[in-house]
Amino acid sequence: MKLRDSLRLAGRSLAGHRLRSALTVVGIVIGISTVVIFASFGTSVQTDVVGEFEDTAASEIIVTSGDVGFGDSSGGPPIPTDLLDGIPAVTDYDVEQLGGIDGVEAVIPSGPIDADAVTVGEETLARGVQVTAIPPAGFAEGDIITGEPFESGARGEIVLTETAVERFEANVTVGDTVTVDYADASPEEFTVVGVTGSVRGGFSSAFSPIFYVPIEPYYAEHGSTAPSASQGVDQRAFPQVTLVAPPDRVTDVQADVERYMTEDSDAIRVENVNDVTVQSTADIVDGIESVLADVIRLVSGIGLLALLVGAFGIANIMLVSVTERTKEIGIMKATGARNREVMGLFLGEAVLLGLAGAVVGIPLGLAVGYGAAVYAEVGFTVPIIWLVVAAGMGIATGVVAGLYPAWRAARVDPIDALRYE
Amino acid sequence: MSVTDGDAAAAGARADGPEDEAVVTVADVHKEYDLGGTVTALDGVSLALAEGSYTAVMGPSGSGKSTLLNLIGALDTPTAGEVIVDGENVADLPERERARLRGTEIGFVFQTFNLMPRLAAVENVALPLVFAEWSRRERRERAETLLSEVGLGDRLDHLPRELSGGQRQRVAIARALAADPEIILADEPTGNVDTDTGAEIMDLLAAARDRGNTILLVTHERRIADHADRIVHVTDGAIEEIEPVEAGE
Repeated sequence: MKLRDSLRLAGRSLAGHRLRSALTVVGIVIGISTVVIFASFGTSVQTDVVGEFEDTAASEIIVTSGDVGFGDSSGGPPIPTDLLDGIPAVTDYDVEQLGGIDGVEAVIPSGPIDADAVTVGEETLARGVQVTAIPPAGFAEGDIITGEPFESGARGEIVLTETAVERFEANVTVGDTVTVDYADASPEEFTVVGVTGSVRGGFSSAFSPIFYVPIEPYYAEHGSTAPSASQGVDQRAFPQVTLVAPPDRVTDVQADVERYMTEDSDAIRVENVNDVTVQSTADIVDGIESVLADVIRLVSGIGLLALLVGAFGIANIMLVSVTERTKEIGIMKATGARNREVMGLFLGEAVLLGLAGAVVGIPLGLAVGYGAAVYAEVGFTVPIIWLVVAAGMGIATGVVAGLYPAWRAARVDPIDALRYE
Repeated sequence: MSVTDGDAAAAGARADGPEDEAVVTVADVHKEYDLGGTVTALDGVSLALAEGSYTAVMGPSGSGKSTLLNLIGALDTPTAGEVIVDGENVADLPERERARLRGTEIGFVFQTFNLMPRLAAVENVALPLVFAEWSRRERRERAETLLSEVGLGDRLDHLPRELSGGQRQRVAIARALAADPEIILADEPTGNVDTDTGAEIMDLLAAARDRGNTILLVTHERRIADHADRIVHVTDGAIEEIEPVEAGE
């Protein structure tokens, strides 16, 4: 019997029970579309988030005092975590030494300013406010969206993130006045010189309301200090230092930085600092990718469960079908069908059901995944590999679910079958 | 309750066949079923069907006549003895060869028609050709020709449920002839149709025989059995008598 004839006969049988076949396929559709929805939405989020980081920070090495590796959940607020998690321990001397490491193109220390609230006009932001001191080099090319970065030592100039702008009802823009309430000093007025999308080494800056002030002179006035073991005096100390290196030398530079930080730095000798973390952009992107990949696998696994339920549906309906069509099996055997041809017919039906589930489920899953991506405002990415997996699973489900019923069909005794009413 | 021996069967073949050649040889066949106890369906049956012969098997219910038909039709194998069809011992053939034998050398006609309910008449007729791997076009042509010959040229695409009993049985006969088999096995082919239609069915079988088919007909009606060249009377799993039918009857 030719394969085409097999499939045609199998298709005819399924068409003979349209409602039943359709209901059986629904189980597979639910399973496959669930897998595709989660996989496509998850992949979209992954591509979007990772892409964002890769755009902004191609070759940065981030030194943080304290063990704050990515994925370390401190249980704190989800927004500004970059600096708050680190302990201010990287001293001016360390910054100088890091800057001297071969291959380092720029050293960007950053640290929080001790501020309670920020006011623009009548509106005051108090909770979750983060005022951060960075040098002008912290703004990479293209970071600033409107205006320009401040100059080093420019007193009274401030740059804020887009997210910070959105926190105010008034449309804050270049030239506006921002008042910062310090915890231990009288308020100071700043003029907005720029609005930025992100900064070097500031992974959460794209999503957080952050106000940047020049590290000179503000960090000395409102930042932190720590004892410099090497110099024997207290120095300004930063929780985070971002280094810029040529992309092809990041790995080497990172190793040198790590050696210095763990062996010779002041930071490692500061009380309460048990560890320093040295991460490259690639490490962080890898971390994010692996976390997201785990999440995608987990939720897609739920889809597999649904598919399993669908498989039992197919097996069940095929067994019913074998019993109902016992006489037809007898007729086919009497007219020359071999056992394996009978088996192939029933297996073909099961596979067609699984395939139909894939054909309906994949576009459905993509459509819902696309909707979710649009809703979540991330770019939609088609997870090609998962589509192949989903189609394969549909067919495999049919095969696995159809094997036993088909085997039963092949074993039907033609004499009994022909007598069967 | 005499049991014909091999010689007698061979003699029967000589008496019937113009070419003295047995298409089917049944030699001392026993068939037992295990139905919670051994039931003997055939108890030492020998019979030969010469090429182009027309044999009727008569006997009461449970006499073993259907079992004999199933054995010759390669739907079953004997417990002991040999069934030789087209030169091959059915019991020695692997399953796929028995299936091929059923599909190409044997055509079945059943009392209850046994048509595929969801296939049109023309597709039912073409079914053996599907398993014989004919092309779709050739199958269709062959099936149309056969249906026209049995007078159903205008019912090609009707489903079995849209046909009368007599029409269904004519479709079944066309199907039995589709692969141009050597042997036609008919099990009570007129059992579910009225007398007039039964006569048409018997005419179709006679026509097949005239074209050279070997026919084995199982029936319990003397009137039907009389269409054959000879009548094999079976009782309690054994051949009681082989009775020649006078020509012209």
